[in-house]
Amino acid sequence: MKPNPKDFRVDALSKLRGEARYIRDERILGLWHGLTVRSPHPRARIISIDFDDAFKWQNVTVVTAQDVPNNYVAMIEKDMPVLAEKIVNYVGEPVALIAAPSPELAMEAREHLHVQYKPLPFIDDPLQAEQSDIKLYGSNNVFKEIRIERGDLDEAEKTADKVVELEVRTGFQEHVYLEPQGMIAIPENDRIVVKGSLQCPYYVKNALNEIFKGLRDITVVHATTGGAFGGKEDFPSLLAAHAALLAYKSGHPVAIFYDRREDIQFTTKRHPSVSKNKVYVDAEGKLVGLDIEFYLDSGAYVTLSPVVLARAALTISGCYYIPNVRIVAKAVATNTVPSGAFRGFGGPQAIFTMEMIMEELAQKLKMDAHRVREINLIDEGQTTATGQVLKYSVSNKQTFYDVLERSNYQQKLNKYRQWNEPILERLKQGRYPKRHPDDVLKGIGLSVFLHGAGFTGGGENRIKGKLRIEINDNGQPVIYSAQTEMGQGQQTAFRKILADALAVDIEQILLADVNTDLVPNSGPTVASRSTMVVGSLITDIGREMIKKFLEELKQEYGFPFEYRTGYFYGGDMVLPFRQVAQKHAGLIFEKEYRHPPFIKFDEQNWKGDAYPVYSWAAAVAETEVDPITFNIKVTRYYTTHEIGKAINYDQSIAQIQGGSLQGIGYAIYEKLERQNGHLNVHGFVDYIIPTTVDMPFMDIKILENPYPFGPFGAKGLGELPLVGAAPAVVSSLRMIFSLPINKIPVMPEDLFELAQILRKNGGQP
Amino acid sequence: MIVSFKVNGRQVDLDIDPRKRLLDVLHDDLQLISVKEGCGEGECGACTVLFDGQNVNSCLVPAFQADGHEIVTLEGLKKWPGFSTIERAYLEHGAVQCAYCLSGFVVSTVAYLKNQTEQTVNEDQVKYALAGNLCRCTGYTKIVEAVKDLAEHEKLKELFAEDWPYER
Repeated sequence: MKPNPKDFRVDALSKLRGEARYIRDERILGLWHGLTVRSPHPRARIISIDFDDAFKWQNVTVVTAQDVPNNYVAMIEKDMPVLAEKIVNYVGEPVALIAAPSPELAMEAREHLHVQYKPLPFIDDPLQAEQSDIKLYGSNNVFKEIRIERGDLDEAEKTADKVVELEVRTGFQEHVYLEPQGMIAIPENDRIVVKGSLQCPYYVKNALNEIFKGLRDITVVHATTGGAFGGKEDFPSLLAAHAALLAYKSGHPVAIFYDRREDIQFTTKRHPSVSKNKVYVDAEGKLVGLDIEFYLDSGAYVTLSPVVLARAALTISGCYYIPNVRIVAKAVATNTVPSGAFRGFGGPQAIFTMEMIMEELAQKLKMDAHRVREINLIDEGQTTATGQVLKYSVSNKQTFYDVLERSNYQQKLNKYRQWNEPILERLKQGRYPKRHPDDVLKGIGLSVFLHGAGFTGGGENRIKGKLRIEINDNGQPVIYSAQTEMGQGQQTAFRKILADALAVDIEQILLADVNTDLVPNSGPTVASRSTMVVGSLITDIGREMIKKFLEELKQEYGFPFEYRTGYFYGGDMVLPFRQVAQKHAGLIFEKEYRHPPFIKFDEQNWKGDAYPVYSWAAAVAETEVDPITFNIKVTRYYTTHEIGKAINYDQSIAQIQGGSLQGIGYAIYEKLERQNGHLNVHGFVDYIIPTTVDMPFMDIKILENPYPFGPFGAKGLGELPLVGAAPAVVSSLRMIFSLPINKIPVMPEDLFELAQILRKNGGQP
Repeated sequence: MIVSFKVNGRQVDLDIDPRKRLLDVLHDDLQLISVKEGCGEGECGACTVLFDGQNVNSCLVPAFQADGHEIVTLEGLKKWPGFSTIERAYLEHGAVQCAYCLSGFVVSTVAYLKNQTEQTVNEDQVKYALAGNLCRCTGYTKIVEAVKDLAEHEKLKELFAEDWPYER
């Protein structure tokens, strides 16, 4: 691979010039505007939908459940209706759709449509879901239960020197991609074309195929997408169904563009989690047993919760070797907007839980937080909770030691402890804590984390991602894949992978537009899989292409050729790649993905290779807490990521910077709560994400430890940075107060409460 | 109602619904698609434009308020010779990801560079100048680095002084 860290993004210039067309920038003649009529109740029976006579209904199109040919959104299950028919199960559940030639007319129609409900009791606590008399799903409201067992916990109990118990909680998180959800559906004769801001064109196509089975064919086109982070993985299937139904019934092209308020309240969120944890350690602080009961609050419908739960359960034992483990993980139903995919996909909740277990251990054992982690780190040759032997590309200790050294962790830890002492003492005594304006509490904390690349378990072998590369008339290879650019740099990475595999310039490689009529199903753009999984198909085809051309040349000239640095050498001839390729214009290469055959996973018993390989990271966060306002600021953030191989070094750093700040937001800014079944945020005014002023100084290092089956050794990167940022920040806050903080987000008022405990009890919890 | 104002140096006279926001007029009516709606309540900055040389959120400005004023969007900035320098800094620093926020950032960058009078570049000033623009992809580091570089660019200062094509 060419060592060129400054491969500029292929999409940068059109974006910098404001020329990239996002879905709201489309100009379509006769475009109608759609809106959604939503439930105001967390759970209710629909009594009637009435149209009052004061409005001329012939000027608009209304769609209700009766108009939906097959009323479900096909994902893992078919439990979620496109439009609610008899019962609504969350605040904001779609009940009816209206389209009109103008948004104003659609809004006017909305005022004349009256839905009558009979409110019903509802579930708003995930811990009450199993026992509740209200049945949202099956007999006990459990969408999915996973049990991972290893060794013998009774044995652990016997040999343990100490047992520590704690409850850990994580909150909702909203993606807040800057571009709110948007979709346009265009009716054609026997077809509906859907174009929008989305991650997974084939998810949308499959869902719409089922809704319109036998009635219409479906084409899905990807528009320039303004951020997604998982929020445009599952949700666009529902939105596309709505737009398509309005287009189908009205005969007009219809756009549904959510405003921020609608987007933030009624689209998917990161699953909140609650866990009850019991951990057994020996006298030195080595983990001997782990017993976890873990719940994901999944909202009203299944969506992707079973797989989010699987990733959480498989990630939760984290970066540590633990001989005896019992993990019981459940995704439970509540009357809340369905939780869905979000960068990390259960990983952030799991890693936060495990890292807080380590923090609690450190405090109970009176050990330093880094020391208790250090002696338990898993290494190559050891086995995970599922019995997976870590065989290659394992860099757990490398990232850990690297980040500690680069951040000067040990020295700062001692220094800050000393610095904090008098300020804490004044807080304990109830005196004014500041002697000097600079008297802020200084924290330093760490986290160790990992992320399995690609789908969980046998997922990749089920999806069987297919890739096609064609040679065009100019002799340029064109990559046909369903992978989407949403900001992460997929277009640049794909072109670069093939360019480097062929040793030609990136400009010689083209990418086909993502349109399901053109591109094969190479699988969804999720799970940090595009580079590693689909990228490996690109390098495979690249090699096949060269082999094929070498054979053809030999046949043509009668002597052998050799391919080096973009040229075919044979006899006294030197032929550039493009010249040879041009002779084969129209040639097609196709390949289907399979895991290396030795990767095996038993999905019944949750044993084996949960992921083909893991990316590894560690982080150190430094924070400052004002002892009067308890305002929290992350001042420095160090992280070391081992990702196999950075395909585009500069953009890999960019991914880590962005993901880390999202994780910092998850830790201390982004608060979204459910109050009486309603989510209590409306937009950026009350859902706070970090701004330029909140960003810490970031010091990032990438280590490379190639994965033998990834393109040039690459593993997954996209999600990893977010996964471990929150626990590092909270670790630094625990270091300041030496008191348990086992939930995120942590707000100034939470630290104020800790200061009250300090004052009352002299520091004892 | 009839509203007359300058957009990117061109005089426009429009008959508009008085309820319309400047954002709607620019994006929908004049098809200046660089002006993006991210929140509609003045928080995210994706719809930032220059209003008499100051960066404002066009979603908070009723269109009729533009009457008699000068609006410059990213499309207009591209006509200024200094734009290529700004574009190059963002490109080279790798500050582009999904870019839905990006035209807002570029407009705020220009407003900052154009109006700043300090001799030395202060990182905090750059951060405060961009604090009204939200980005969810980049973590801001690369954007702030790009703007810091630009603030030290001597030639840009000249281009603002001598080749700025707009009144303010």
